[in-house]
Amino acid sequence: MTNDSSSSSASVLGIVGKALLIVGIPAVTVWGFMVPPAEGFMQPDLARMLFFHLPCALGSSIFLMLAPYFALRNLRSKDHADGVAWDIRTVAATEIALVTGILTLVTGSLFSKVQWGEWWNWDPRQTSFLLVMLIVAAYFALRGALPDAERKAHNSGAYLLAAVLPIMFLIFVYPRLPQVATLHPNLLQKGGGLDANYRNVFLSTFVLVTGVTAWIYQLRVRAGLYELELELQNAELADRDRPAATGMVRPVSLPSDGG
Amino acid sequence: MVRVDNLGKRYGSRWLFRGLSFEIESGESLVVLGQNGAGKSTLLKTLAGLVSASEGTVEMPEGDRRLTVAVSAIELSLYPHLSLREHLTLTGALRGCPGREEELLDFIGLTHARDLMTTQISTGMKARLKLAMAIQARPLVLILDEPGAGLDEAGRELVVRVVAEQRTRGCVLLATNDPLERRLASLELQLAS
Amino acid sequence: MNSSWLAEVFAVLRKEAVAEMRSRTAIFTAGLFSIMTVVAMSIATYNEKLSPSGYAGVFWVALLFSALIALPRTFTIEEEQGTSDLLRLTARPHAVFWGKAIYNLIQVWLAALALSVLFCAFAHLSISIPWLFAVAMIGSGAALAGAVTLCGALVAQAANRGALAATLALPLLVPLIWLGVAALRVAIGPMGPEFTSGGIQASIGLVCYGIAALAIGPYLFAAVWKNS
Repeated sequence: MTNDSSSSSASVLGIVGKALLIVGIPAVTVWGFMVPPAEGFMQPDLARMLFFHLPCALGSSIFLMLAPYFALRNLRSKDHADGVAWDIRTVAATEIALVTGILTLVTGSLFSKVQWGEWWNWDPRQTSFLLVMLIVAAYFALRGALPDAERKAHNSGAYLLAAVLPIMFLIFVYPRLPQVATLHPNLLQKGGGLDANYRNVFLSTFVLVTGVTAWIYQLRVRAGLYELELELQNAELADRDRPAATGMVRPVSLPSDGG
Repeated sequence: MVRVDNLGKRYGSRWLFRGLSFEIESGESLVVLGQNGAGKSTLLKTLAGLVSASEGTVEMPEGDRRLTVAVSAIELSLYPHLSLREHLTLTGALRGCPGREEELLDFIGLTHARDLMTTQISTGMKARLKLAMAIQARPLVLILDEPGAGLDEAGRELVVRVVAEQRTRGCVLLATNDPLERRLASLELQLAS
Repeated sequence: MNSSWLAEVFAVLRKEAVAEMRSRTAIFTAGLFSIMTVVAMSIATYNEKLSPSGYAGVFWVALLFSALIALPRTFTIEEEQGTSDLLRLTARPHAVFWGKAIYNLIQVWLAALALSVLFCAFAHLSISIPWLFAVAMIGSGAALAGAVTLCGALVAQAANRGALAATLALPLLVPLIWLGVAALRVAIGPMGPEFTSGGIQASIGLVCYGIAALAIGPYLFAAVWKNS
């Protein structure tokens, strides 16, 4: 009864959330074009790229913080099925981090071309984010190279955990070092931030992008669990022709002491 | 001593074995039988903790596994740049038990070859060395995968002696298709292919 | 950290050293690589005097690549020989990691020493602050040994493991490249005293990174070493 009511309230919440996304995405898109162009850019109209660029970067960072946690749960899991489920979550989170990360790099590159005339500036923040994406790509390279499913999950998970410190350094420390000059505005700095209009639109797009990525994540995990279920069902089908018991222990009537 | 409950190992959508449940007491020796590819070696590796089970549990005697469980398997390789004696010194140091180098080399009849590198010795001599390394810490559970492969008559006698001695302090799990080694069993486990 | 633990670590370390002394493949390859790096750099910069930053960059990249070539071998060779199961059955994971990491640490420090001598003798490198250079090498060696040893363990069972170990390790070592070059250029110098504190900070960063890599490594290694 409790399960029924909690699952039905979850599905109601899901429907409401999806409805909000469907209404919210076009509404915020229109709102984004209605705010006055930002000042201080060569192409002020195109500064609206920020509404998509920054939420993607933040979304990617959030999933990159979640993925090592899921990997840790997998490594610590004693139960095989539980471990596989955590691995599916790790892969889903890392995939979304990669996709949103690539979107961040592409939108950043477009912005760089129209504002500064170069597709790629080797800006510290741009470079450090590229390196983070290379770590994520290396994670998938490792998974692809290991044939055994469990070793794939464990070793790639350990790599992701080993990468936590470098990722933190690349995202949070390196672009803020006084020795490196970045073209990116520091939005966390007091006075260096956005004006109120921009901030509100940005916060709305951030909520929407987070909502969409969370939804995709949920679908990706569900697809992974179905794939696993399918594999198990196939194994059951293949196992049907086997005798009732795989192995049977029988005592030997005259134990030999060797001779 | 060894308790296996509903043990199964699956690779992708293929179960190699499943639903295995048995218990082995001290003094017993279980011989695992089955055709090639039935999963004998994988079962022994799962019991030894080298391969994780897809389902089910394995209970081994309490204590440090390096000392309580030992394996001698045809698939186990030796270091090409270490001598026979150095292998025993290494495994003794890693397990934290006495190396018993001279005693074990004498037992397996290879005292004369003690300083030869493993690249300079025959397959049968390697099998004897692996047996010596397995019994070094006087384990409670001895796992042998095709222990007689490559061994001459005297070597096979050695396997029989090792199994008999092991049954006085613990149990033996042995995978084989050799009719002579099958006679060492007090229990048999037939794996369906 | 009891005596048995130390004896186990020493047993792994001794095994690595004895096997290397008898085969001499890694020492020979690393030595040849160091000489080739210096020759290649001298040809590439013929008649040019590099700036301290240039020397620091080239030196650090040479050290990085010699580590990426030599260090993952300690684990990949166990899989190639088929001896990893023997280690899994007889050794505790921490002893395996520490034994191999210490062996790799000695290898990196020897490579750093060899590269320093070769650079000074044949590539006109002069070091202004030797102690800072030494601290930077100690920290770099520790961080390289920790990170690359772990990556070697992670790729040991993979296809094309040699290239993959470098692919995994490189992005993890990026912060280290930055710190290493920042410390070395001050040590190579001569630069003004106002730069010395930056060099010291970078060296401290290197040592901290090294400690972190060597501290985290055994735990992650233990999680992947047993079974599957």
